[in-house]
Amino acid sequence: MSLYRLTSLLFILVLLLTACTPASPVTPEVPTAAATLPDSTDVPTDVAATETVDQPISGKLVIYSGRSEPLIQPVIDAFKAEHPEVEVLLKAGSNSEIANALIEEQANTQADLFITTELFTVQSLSQQGIFQPYRPAAADLLPPEFIDPNNNWIGLTLRARVIMYNTDLVAPEDLPTSIFDLTDPKWKGKIAAAGSTNGSMQAQIAAMRQLLGEEETEAWLQGLLDNEVTFFGGHTDVRKAVGAGEFALGLVNHYYYHLQLAEGSKVGVIYPDQGDGQLGLITNATAVAVVKGAQNVPAAQAFVDFLVSEQGQKIFAEQNYEYPLLPGVPLREGVQPLESFRLAEVNIAEAALDSDATFDLMEKLELP
Amino acid sequence: MNRSDAPMPPALVSPLQRLRAASNRLTTRSASPVLLAGLAGLVALFLAVPVVYIFLRAVGADAEAWQRLLQVRLWKLLGNTLLLMLAVTGGALVIGASMAWLTERSDLPGRKYFRWMFALPLAIPAYIGGIVHLALLRPRGGMLPRLLENLLGQPVYTPSPLGFWGAAFILILFTFPYVYLLSGAAFRSQHASLEEAARMLGYRPLRTFFSVTLPAMRPGLLAGALLVALDILAEYGTVALLRYETFSSAIFVQLSGRYDRSAAAVLSGVLVGLAVIILWAELHSQGQARFTQMESSWRPAPIVRLGKWRIPALLVAAGVTFTSLLVPVGVLTTWSIQAVLDPETLRSVLHSGSMGFSNFAWNSLWTSFLAALLAITLSVPVALFSVRHPSRVSRLIARVCQVGYAIPGVVIALSLVLLVNRALPFLYATPLIVVIAYVLRHVPQAVRASEAALNQVSATLEEAARVSGRTAVQTFVQVTFPLILPGLLAGGALVFLTSLKELPATLLLRPAGFDTLAVRVWVWANDGFYIQAAPAALLLVLISAVPLSFLLRREQIFK
Repeated sequence: MSLYRLTSLLFILVLLLTACTPASPVTPEVPTAAATLPDSTDVPTDVAATETVDQPISGKLVIYSGRSEPLIQPVIDAFKAEHPEVEVLLKAGSNSEIANALIEEQANTQADLFITTELFTVQSLSQQGIFQPYRPAAADLLPPEFIDPNNNWIGLTLRARVIMYNTDLVAPEDLPTSIFDLTDPKWKGKIAAAGSTNGSMQAQIAAMRQLLGEEETEAWLQGLLDNEVTFFGGHTDVRKAVGAGEFALGLVNHYYYHLQLAEGSKVGVIYPDQGDGQLGLITNATAVAVVKGAQNVPAAQAFVDFLVSEQGQKIFAEQNYEYPLLPGVPLREGVQPLESFRLAEVNIAEAALDSDATFDLMEKLELP
Repeated sequence: MNRSDAPMPPALVSPLQRLRAASNRLTTRSASPVLLAGLAGLVALFLAVPVVYIFLRAVGADAEAWQRLLQVRLWKLLGNTLLLMLAVTGGALVIGASMAWLTERSDLPGRKYFRWMFALPLAIPAYIGGIVHLALLRPRGGMLPRLLENLLGQPVYTPSPLGFWGAAFILILFTFPYVYLLSGAAFRSQHASLEEAARMLGYRPLRTFFSVTLPAMRPGLLAGALLVALDILAEYGTVALLRYETFSSAIFVQLSGRYDRSAAAVLSGVLVGLAVIILWAELHSQGQARFTQMESSWRPAPIVRLGKWRIPALLVAAGVTFTSLLVPVGVLTTWSIQAVLDPETLRSVLHSGSMGFSNFAWNSLWTSFLAALLAITLSVPVALFSVRHPSRVSRLIARVCQVGYAIPGVVIALSLVLLVNRALPFLYATPLIVVIAYVLRHVPQAVRASEAALNQVSATLEEAARVSGRTAVQTFVQVTFPLILPGLLAGGALVFLTSLKELPATLLLRPAGFDTLAVRVWVWANDGFYIQAAPAALLLVLISAVPLSFLLRREQIFK
């Protein structure tokens, strides 16, 4: 046991030392290649082998996930089926709660991987040096805007911010077409949304701040508050409430509509702001990053490979109704392709830098 | 309640007081409390760590964070928090003490069963009760409004469980057992001669109750009220669920937001300050009064006949039990059956997270048990020192040991993350750190219980043992310990149960793949999968019921 601890310590020490050496930003093998410990059987340090995926991997793989467990469990189960000798340990929580844990644990890293619900968090953490670069072979197939320039994180799936509605409560001619319709007094008290602690909502506000500016975003949020929008902690509450007819409209990620529809509720969906001069559809990506100081780098990298593989992407598309980033993976039946919509274009790196201002705005308005 | 507005029959008070004063003089002279003081001081030091950290962080926060919060939010949060705290403490005191009186001092039909019914809501975390009541009563979408609408053909107004009233309602329902247990024990152990003396002095029953019975119960009632008040200060799940913003939920919002913790630290600092004020007030209200009993002449106080009030009292008691126990357990059972009958739900219940169902049940058990054991052990020197050697120092130590309970679990967790990460990195991300958080957070309950137990044991018994040649340690082992054991076990039961229910600290500190029942319930319920959460919630209640029954039986209240 003490030998194990000693080797772990040595390993961490080497990693820390290598972290300090200036590494060229693009080639991931440079910072990790130095960590070659001789004769260590307990700790998988043979990082030279990580470039080849077929190398047998084992040990514990610790995943911190900002995505809720039901949305990430299927892909973990599929990975376990492929690599039964890897023990996957999952810690799921709210996006920023996990992010805070990662910041606190910098000196004593526990997690190997971080999976997140939106890019601003992962970008912000990346700027704080929480991650180590890794570029899976499949990365070349993904749209380049969803890969960190330094390979610190890799996008996995896309989600759209949509309005879902209860078909019993809203007549077709009354349907809103823009998120700005949500401030119309005729919807007073009839709208549900996720509150200020929700990553996707935070990301939407950050995106709007960048696209429209502070004033217009504030006016929109104030409009929601004046319209007595009910803010829940998460989107599952929103979709269930709309499905049950408690609310006419809900501001959600698109797959919550599909999940509610699959439960047999009478719900419909609107992809908003498609008209001329309108904002366009706001989207955001989920992402994964390998944590700097990870104990099981080979397994972490294998897991990233799996997430961006066709098999992994299919699970996200099939079970979660998400938009896979890997081209050629079919959408789940009923999911409208993103190509048919005009998307709002957001600069992720800039929005991440502005995240404090987003929180300031939510706080100023006392968004629940 | 102050001593001056609770007049005791003078003939009764002064001998007791003189006795106490004499015994205090004796103890302080005969037994040197240096070792005890050192032990108690160490315990206080250990418990003070998170508080010190929070104050350092709050003081270290930049002026901007303070200013931003001081403008509006702080005052609003202060008002919200205090209002809820007062309402829930008052409600829990009234319900807890009156139910205790009904089961211990009246001939309420079925009071043997009601004792269990009133203690068992302790096994239900308030937020689980909140989830159930929310599912039932939710405006428009709740089961009850829908049922009524279907029956009557039109929407019917039902009270909403959201907001202040809802939060107060739910929290009273699930915190009154604290008061019930502590005041129940006090009613039970009350000396018959106390009331007899009052009656002989010509006091009518009602006056006897308010001027003798109730004041003599003050330690028990205050202990219960303090636990409830501090519980409300730290409560997160219920207020977040029912959308009523207090300090704790605001801190959580801060933590789930920006990566800068200074605002959360500022709020926590104010919250801890609030708790210190409550403890200070409590210290002063306790005054000089001490109530001791002589073991040799103890007789139970007589039972009061309810007469024509039997039926109304029974209805009230049944109503309390219905809303606080039968409804949550009934709904959870129904949901559990639904979960078991649906193969897909059942599969996800049994194989969720990284481990199986039995794994997190076991984790809940052993961490809570270890925490209870440690908490009682740590509480004994503190209680001994503060009760048997009352002084400024001992009182300060006892108060320091209380403050930890008022710090939200999330803040204890954060301070542990930071400190353990730096000082004891090998301890971090082990289940032991979860246990440490439980201990830090729940030792105050154990200290309260141990103090209350010691307060009920006359120091003259220990004096007798010392005079007859026993050492201080022998005296403790042979005389004091057996007498306070029921109280210690009651404290242990409380720590065990609150640890079992603990959520925010467990969520933040648990190593990956280490789940407890409470965590599983939260993860599922948070995702809106109430039916999936139900079996774990029900098991949590059942597991809690077993040691609860064991401990309560040993305490002789529940025979």
